[in-house]
Amino acid sequence: MTKRQRTLLIRVGAIVLVFLFAVFLFHIGRQHTVLIDNNTVTRDGVELQALKLVEVQVGKKGEVLEMTPRIRDKAVVVGQRHTVKVVYTDASWNEHVHELSFRIPLMQNMVLISLPALMKNPEDVSFWLENFEGLPTAQSDAPQEEDVVFDELAGFDSF
Amino acid sequence: MRELSTKQKILRFMANNTVPLLFVVIIAFGVPLSGYSPTYLAGEVISRISRNTFLIVSLLIPILAGMGLNFGMTLGAMAGQIGLIFTTDWGIVGIPGILLAMIVSTPLSILLGWWCGKILNMAKGREMVTSYIIGFFMNGIYQLVVLYGMGPLIKIISPNLLLPRGYGIRNTVNLIGIRKSLDNFLMIRIGGVPIPVGTFLVIALLSVFILWFKKTKLGQDMRAVGQDMEVARAAGIRVEYTRIMSIIISTVLAGYGMIIYLHNIGTLNTYNSHMQIGMFSVAALLVGGATVASAKIRNVFLGVVLFHLMFIVSPMAGKRLIGQAQLGEYFRVFVSYGVITTSLVLYEVRKKRERGMSGLALAQDQEVTS
Repeated sequence: MTKRQRTLLIRVGAIVLVFLFAVFLFHIGRQHTVLIDNNTVTRDGVELQALKLVEVQVGKKGEVLEMTPRIRDKAVVVGQRHTVKVVYTDASWNEHVHELSFRIPLMQNMVLISLPALMKNPEDVSFWLENFEGLPTAQSDAPQEEDVVFDELAGFDSF
Repeated sequence: MRELSTKQKILRFMANNTVPLLFVVIIAFGVPLSGYSPTYLAGEVISRISRNTFLIVSLLIPILAGMGLNFGMTLGAMAGQIGLIFTTDWGIVGIPGILLAMIVSTPLSILLGWWCGKILNMAKGREMVTSYIIGFFMNGIYQLVVLYGMGPLIKIISPNLLLPRGYGIRNTVNLIGIRKSLDNFLMIRIGGVPIPVGTFLVIALLSVFILWFKKTKLGQDMRAVGQDMEVARAAGIRVEYTRIMSIIISTVLAGYGMIIYLHNIGTLNTYNSHMQIGMFSVAALLVGGATVASAKIRNVFLGVVLFHLMFIVSPMAGKRLIGQAQLGEYFRVFVSYGVITTSLVLYEVRKKRERGMSGLALAQDQEVTS
């Protein structure tokens, strides 16, 4: 191998390494929104009632959310693999604790966890976790056009 | 050579450090007038050191290669901003978001730096004004790409980034996902003043890199080219290649610097953030005692501290002095441009004086030998 070929090989290798590192960063740095929903849902023709009072924690260090019926909250997470801990006390004062792991698809911005579905069938992730595409935004009074500002000294204050 | 008296030494020191001394005087008056507490000032200065130093260090390499102050660093800043637009669109947050933005900006910076270097090689001796105008020209291309290309040609996933008409990036991009993530990494507090150790480590690494780079073959070549291009060429150094490399390195570092700068602020002003960044970085470096032909790491740090202390205290000092903060604002703009003009004039005066003195010395030598 000539010196020229070796140099080329090292350069190509470096570019490939940087590319792989970029892909790795994309995976570990991707942010997702996890919606936690405590509304009555219908699964396979069966209506699952919203839970009376439930504590939910997404991730080990996530905030513990106390949720009552018809409440939807959210947790913002980074990365694909996460855990959700659900603590629910039923009418007979029996405490049910579920700590489950789930995976968010890389390009999915939002997923929704249905708490009644989770309590019914915690083993089947696809039963309680679904991709959420978001609702179409409501017509607002905001102007349809936004003036683009070109100001030479705009960055001055922040500098 | 005769020994200089103490008075002559002081005068020479003052002549060589006119701009930093002028700033020390301004700050000596401005700080008590502003009424700011030392803790507040220390916090502000440290925050600005972490925000701006990387950008200013990017100017050192072209000075080493004799290409003067690289106003074309704006090109790198634009590349950095494009990197940030993409990572924000992809939803990459935290330190991975910063690193990914840097990776995305790198090929753009290399391409722009290479192109800028090629043009500067055609404009030898007028590099500063040429790079300044290249910055304006490239700004037009940047606006075209960001305002009309992003959306229809370059896919943008997030509708939040796009203007209501469906293409073009909004005036401001919220960088909340990466805001201060590097600063908060290893953040400590000393006497109530937050110290972003993570960012300082990155700046220290860059400073070490610059010092190491000066000792490498390429660094030595740049020094030789900077001293005399024809002598360097005669010694077998590829002058044009070396000059292009210096601009490429500067542009890439400017791109990284812009990402660090904007990550600290937390908002990207899409069409304006980069516009004056070259001007202010150059001004800060000159305030630190650097010249068109010589700049060191210590000039960067001294410049950031003095220039930004002036920036911080001048509005309040102006308000207390005549009851209008606006005076301070004008003063900041005036000083930024003024310091560059003063430095350039002083540099030319010094160069002429040295040329005159060496001519006199040569004439004396010839008289002695004849």
